[in-house]
Amino acid sequence: MSDGLELDRITKRFGTREAVSGVSLAAKDGEFIVLLGPSGCGKSTLLRTIAGLEAPDEGVIRLAGRDITHREARDRDIAMVFQSYALYPHMSIAENIGYPLKVRKRGQPEIAREVEHVAARLGLTSLLKNLPRQLSGGERQRVALARAIIRRPKAFLMDEPLSNLDARLRVEMRAELKHLQHELRIVTLYVTHDQAEAMTLAHRIAVMRDGRVQQYDTPSNVYHRPANTFVAGFVGSPSMNLIEDPGSNVTLGIRPEDVELSRTEQSGWTQARVYVTEEMGNETLVVLNAGAMRVTARAGAGSLFDFDAPVWFRFRPDKIHRFDRGSSLRLPD
Amino acid sequence: MKTALKYAAAGAALLIAIAPVYWLVTISLKREIDQFAYPPAWFVFEPTLEHYSDAFRGSFTAFFLNSVTLATGSTIAALLVGVPAAYGLARFDWPRNWNENIAGWILSTRMLPPIVTIVPLFLMLREARLLNSLVGLTIVYTAFNLPFVVWMMRGFFDEVPREIEEAAMLDGETAVGVLLRIVLPLVKPGLAATAVFCLIVAWNEFLFALILTQTESAMTLPVGIASRVTQYEIKWGAMSAAGVVAMLPVLIFASVAQRYLVRGLSLGAVKG
Ligand SMILES: Nc1ncnc2c1ncn2[C@@H]1O[C@H](COP(=O)(O)OP(=O)(O)O)[C@@H](O)[C@H]1O
Ligand SMILES: [Mg+2]
Repeated sequence: MSDGLELDRITKRFGTREAVSGVSLAAKDGEFIVLLGPSGCGKSTLLRTIAGLEAPDEGVIRLAGRDITHREARDRDIAMVFQSYALYPHMSIAENIGYPLKVRKRGQPEIAREVEHVAARLGLTSLLKNLPRQLSGGERQRVALARAIIRRPKAFLMDEPLSNLDARLRVEMRAELKHLQHELRIVTLYVTHDQAEAMTLAHRIAVMRDGRVQQYDTPSNVYHRPANTFVAGFVGSPSMNLIEDPGSNVTLGIRPEDVELSRTEQSGWTQARVYVTEEMGNETLVVLNAGAMRVTARAGAGSLFDFDAPVWFRFRPDKIHRFDRGSSLRLPD
Repeated sequence: MKTALKYAAAGAALLIAIAPVYWLVTISLKREIDQFAYPPAWFVFEPTLEHYSDAFRGSFTAFFLNSVTLATGSTIAALLVGVPAAYGLARFDWPRNWNENIAGWILSTRMLPPIVTIVPLFLMLREARLLNSLVGLTIVYTAFNLPFVVWMMRGFFDEVPREIEEAAMLDGETAVGVLLRIVLPLVKPGLAATAVFCLIVAWNEFLFALILTQTESAMTLPVGIASRVTQYEIKWGAMSAAGVVAMLPVLIFASVAQRYLVRGLSLGAVKG
């Protein structure tokens, strides 16, 4: 019925263990979707199910309006980038990139032309004759991308593609990846446990936990209106303060940047003592103890507080999130 | 001091290993009168090639060709059957985890002494009219090498990262295409080492060949050479010359195997 990718109540079990439980997601054509969640929550399993590398126990997968649930992986027209890159060690870079076309029996001249084109776009032209083992991690990553985009598949799947790169390269590739996806306009499912990657790359984020989708929404809504305490605590760094309100059945959530601090007493504010100060360069994190409560606040760069110094704080009233303690779901504002 | 000891030990080992070969080679080059000289002519004797021409005059050439056909044929057959079997065991999940059972069962066929199978084999081949035939021996050698191929190759396949194969599937490759174009090139060193082992086993095999061939038509080199021991005389010179020629292919196989073994068993060859 629609373009794009649609998952309808996908469940995947390994023996009795449910790795993916009734996941439903719809991604529009050209959309960049990030699956975000802690390790072991079933992200890879879900991705492999979509790729056709695992068969779902229940549910339907539709791509570009067609039911592909029972199709062979090779007939799905989906490209995947693996965390390990999975390049073919015995083939040159040019052969690696051109392989999907060769399998499809395209002519040599066409393959050569396409490989050159894609290689130029990803800055691999000078490496075409090399073998994968002669390349650095970042270069291998590009080759894996080149091999994925050369045949313009109907969907891209990426399983933590940047996690083997060092921090600087990761940020660089992240930007490149985002631009590339924007140009290609091919629906992309991207798996990561890194919330910064999720926030920066995604049109929409699906936050997962224990095989279930907790929230499927834009980065801004996931950040500003987390659907439950798990999402609230998982997205954002440092994490949101979650405080049990002793008088009610409500858990309060407040982000560190929404905690106001003062060195002097203010009426209506709570007194606390500084537990530790963490200087981050562009900001300072101040961890406070107020009775049994521990709160992290974000202060300006260069703010210095001594250990155990007395401070006063309050939560910005319009920034407080409320969650039901029993169900851990967000309460209406 | 330590190095000296090491060299001494290596030297002794080498001497023990080389001595019979040296003896064989010198006998093959000695005139009959020198062969039995006492004290033995260790180093100084008048060399002759007469035993080599003697050896080749008989059915030796036919035996040699039989051995070549048999070793090559049985090795190819064992690989053709064993490699896909090993891949299946390494990659596909059999119901109820039967992979290990099947693999263990295959290996167990190598646990009993080969000689115990000789009577049933003899009877079966006789019924099939395959006694005294290269085809019969090829089947026997193939069966003999098969467990070895399956176990060796399964180990090599296990070392290939699955994601590489999965990437190929997503790139549009069929299961057979993945095996032929991705996996086999990656395990080439292992494949070569396995093939060379099979060749050597088949080339050297004596017992089955002796019992399953009674006429010269399908006789192999080891049996042919041994048949030079007759009731009336032992042709030491011709036997030794034949032995030297029979050894050469094994030497070549072994040196090839050595090169691949190191690469095949150290798995850096596979990992990018
Ligand atoms: N082939 C498998 N066999 C059995 N259990 C598996 C298999 N693959 C994954 N699992 C289990 O499924 C759960 C989800 O794994 P995975 O999808 O890899 O999580 P993630 O990618 O989010 O880290 C884990 O508990 C993992 O142990
Ligand atoms: Mg994973």
